[in-house]
Amino acid sequence: MLDRELKKGSAELLILSLVEDRPRHGYDIGQLIELRSRGVLRFNVASLYPLLYRLEKRGWIRGRWVEKAGQRRRRYYRLTPTGKRVLAAQRDGWQEFVGAINRITGIAHA
Amino acid sequence: MPDFKEEIRKRVAAIQLSPPREAEIVEELSQHLDDQYEQSLNRGATEEEAYGAAVASLAESDLLARELKRVERRVQQEPLTLGNEKTNLLGDLLQDLRFGIRMLLKNPGFTIVAIIALALGIGANTAIFSVVNTVLLRPLPYKNPERLVMVWEENSKQGFPRDTPAAANYIDWRDQNHVFEGMAAMTEISFNLTGTGEPERIDGQRVSGNLFQLLGVEPQLGRAFLPEEDRAGANHVVILSHGLWQRRFGSDSTIIGRPINLDSQSFTVVGVMPKGFQFPSRTDQLWVPIAFTANEAGQRGNHYLEVIARVKPGISLEQAQAEMTTIATRLQQQYPQTNTSIGAVITPLHEHVVGNIKPALLVLLGAVAFVLLIACANVANLLLARAAVRQKEIALRLALGASRSRMTRQFLTESVLLAALGGGVGLVLSIVGLDLLKRFIPPNISQVQAIGIDTKVLLFTILVSIATGLLFGLAPAAQMASSNLNDTLKEGGRDSAGGHHGNRIRGFLIISEVAVSFLLLIGAGLLINSFVRLRHVDPGFRAESLLTMKIALPETRYPDKQRRSLFFDELLRRVGGLPGVASAAVATNLPLTSTGNSVGVAIEGRADPAPDRVPIVITRVVSPDYFKTMSIPLLEGRVFTEGDKADSPSAVVISETTARLFWPGENALGKHLKVGRSTSPNPWMTVVGVVKDVRQYELIIEPKPQMYLPYQQAEFFEPRALVVRTNFDPLSLAATARQTVWEIDKDQPVSDISSMEEIVSDSVARQRFSMLLLGVFAGLALVLAAVGIYGVMSYSVAQQTREIGIRMALGAQRSDVLKMTVGQGLRLVLTGVAIGLAAAFVLTRVMATLLFGVSPTDPLTFIGISIVLIGVAVLASYIPALRATRIDPMFALRYQ
Repeated sequence: MLDRELKKGSAELLILSLVEDRPRHGYDIGQLIELRSRGVLRFNVASLYPLLYRLEKRGWIRGRWVEKAGQRRRRYYRLTPTGKRVLAAQRDGWQEFVGAINRITGIAHA
Repeated sequence: MPDFKEEIRKRVAAIQLSPPREAEIVEELSQHLDDQYEQSLNRGATEEEAYGAAVASLAESDLLARELKRVERRVQQEPLTLGNEKTNLLGDLLQDLRFGIRMLLKNPGFTIVAIIALALGIGANTAIFSVVNTVLLRPLPYKNPERLVMVWEENSKQGFPRDTPAAANYIDWRDQNHVFEGMAAMTEISFNLTGTGEPERIDGQRVSGNLFQLLGVEPQLGRAFLPEEDRAGANHVVILSHGLWQRRFGSDSTIIGRPINLDSQSFTVVGVMPKGFQFPSRTDQLWVPIAFTANEAGQRGNHYLEVIARVKPGISLEQAQAEMTTIATRLQQQYPQTNTSIGAVITPLHEHVVGNIKPALLVLLGAVAFVLLIACANVANLLLARAAVRQKEIALRLALGASRSRMTRQFLTESVLLAALGGGVGLVLSIVGLDLLKRFIPPNISQVQAIGIDTKVLLFTILVSIATGLLFGLAPAAQMASSNLNDTLKEGGRDSAGGHHGNRIRGFLIISEVAVSFLLLIGAGLLINSFVRLRHVDPGFRAESLLTMKIALPETRYPDKQRRSLFFDELLRRVGGLPGVASAAVATNLPLTSTGNSVGVAIEGRADPAPDRVPIVITRVVSPDYFKTMSIPLLEGRVFTEGDKADSPSAVVISETTARLFWPGENALGKHLKVGRSTSPNPWMTVVGVVKDVRQYELIIEPKPQMYLPYQQAEFFEPRALVVRTNFDPLSLAATARQTVWEIDKDQPVSDISSMEEIVSDSVARQRFSMLLLGVFAGLALVLAAVGIYGVMSYSVAQQTREIGIRMALGAQRSDVLKMTVGQGLRLVLTGVAIGLAAAFVLTRVMATLLFGVSPTDPLTFIGISIVLIGVAVLASYIPALRATRIDPMFALRYQ
């Protein structure tokens, strides 16, 4: 598991990316992060939801209760237009950052 | 499955989130833990392991709280109330008020529009109510004013249902009744005040010595009249009005006991009345004892008194009336010559004072109430639209257990708060408005100056505001109460926009607005129509470029006709010679000044009719140039000339109505008339000319028989009015003309200087007052209704964006959309007009007394107003409709 600070810094980017193509609920987001990082990244409830609420409050994502036949209602989060712009900017920034780290540490092309 | 909610609640309790927010978070997080728990089980964990893992992901006990606090702290949550067994009315009210204020601040546009609409409505009500309060409701400023009555001769047979009593009748009434504590008589008198400063004509009253005691008003200085001063010969005492005392005597308190010079006779000042005392008329500046002479006291044919009486305690008005009828019947038998058709009728003093303006004020009060109703409808519409937006919030609160009654209370608190703000601004508006209003109130209405905002008016405004708030708050509250919680929550993100129920309420409001403004517009239309007709009535003379003034010669200095004629001849010679003067004349009274004399006449060759059938003719004594100066057209014969002297044959000029009534189908020229019975010693007068009718009393009164006598010949009635036709602005001649009078007699007062046009205009002041005000209020109603229609149509178009989009995508033309949208508005408006029309047919009847020459159901007004209102309404729904057609179908389809 990665260091908590690093995780926090990148967590916003992760969440925004995950709700980009379609709305997801909190558990789904938590699962996907764990799954796609092959278990490296894992959020617990106490840190995931406050983060979601913060993003929602900034207007980057929007949560909405959705009811489906025969199911409990769930809160789905989707990317807002503002969130879309933020995501694009963060992606660029992240790539630059990773590129810079790689160049310095000589991981990619030594 | 274990319930994680309690675990979560425990952890977030410390940060004290608002209950609904907390509930939401607990729900969302517990679902997460449920999922996690289930997954753990699926992977083969035991229940304990799965439970432990789930709780572990909540991490240390305070992490969640800490993190949440950072996020949630800055979110301003609206306070929500969960259903609570214990009610705390005051606490709830404060909470509702705080919440209400925040809601209003959050929507400044809505708040401002609503407050303006309410302020106009409440302001108009406050202004009119303060007039009604002062003029109609406030008790007259006398002791036990409800027991004061006016007593009149009832002579309906000759067209005088309330005639001024004759002195002998008054004295009999006074001495024979057992129902009144006292009775007093009054009659107008004017004096020339000389000796200090400019000579001035002062209007006053001859009054019975007990008048002041009867009214229960004490002089501010000195004393009232003594009984012995109300006797001929002992009556050279005077009581001054506060105004006259200030103006002419510098508020000198040593004036009591000093003599002043009235008509060159010495009168001792015995009292000064308090400020504001004006009885019986606003213009009275002094009072002298009436002190009937023996001759006066015996007259039954000369009706000129006003009589006031105070009913004894315990005696009802009906009893008093019955007693007066008995006395009058007895007098009829006793004096058949004079009293055959004369009864007695009492009217409460209050009715006498306010009777003239009462119908107009009541109509106006009704009108402003309607304006307020329209304002209410507008605000209710705004609130409905906003309530639709807030439906989610409301549904959630209800779902969380807030009771509907609690929510209704909160809604009503908000609307009453809004109304209170509107009322506050309205109060300010009404203070400004009252100043304007006072200028249009006819000056002969009592207590105009006293009109203002007092505690009663304030109370009225507060009550009206609260009632208003409850009224327009009811619609959204009712809608909220009937909304279906599940539907609202299920409808997801789409604003159901009030649904069908809301549309019905909005439609109803629009229909009422249209109906009410239609009523007001009809009322105003009828009054404007009347006023225009009134101003187009031919008064029988030409009012332009005429200067008028009053010059009353005192009998003491001009005791006989010769001396008076000398003065007037000289005056007319000098004024006629002034530059810019076309002609000048004198007359006893000018038209439309509500003054003048009438006499009974005998027609030569006909038997005298019964006393109550004697023809009454309005009589004016004039100088030869009067007809030329006033531009009264001569129809037949001649007008007076210098040749109609005191010793030449008596001549009379009559009006066309007189000629038609007295000698139908005959030529009136050369016929003979006499003042009084045919046996009276008055000379027979020859009709030398017939002139056009003049409206002598009021424009609305059909001309009655009139005759003119030459001032050199007439034995009674001396001229008091000078009238001058000028070639320029008549008032610029005023100073010169007055100076000319003083050159002839330096002690001769000149008063009532005005142009004839002012006199005509003043004579319709009452009608102008009603017309202007109702016009303003109807205009206000129209604007408010237009705003209301526009608002509702915009809203309804916004609601139908999707539908419009689909229609246009399917090939509907813009004109179709336009037709559809305007059609919707038009349907509401037409319904409103139809209802308004029906109501107007009934309600305009109450205005009948205010109308002139127009029927209360004048078709032209009804049709015209319908067209105006429908036109405005179409325009108000056309603009949003036009916007609807500009919608991009793609946008509309995506629109939620």
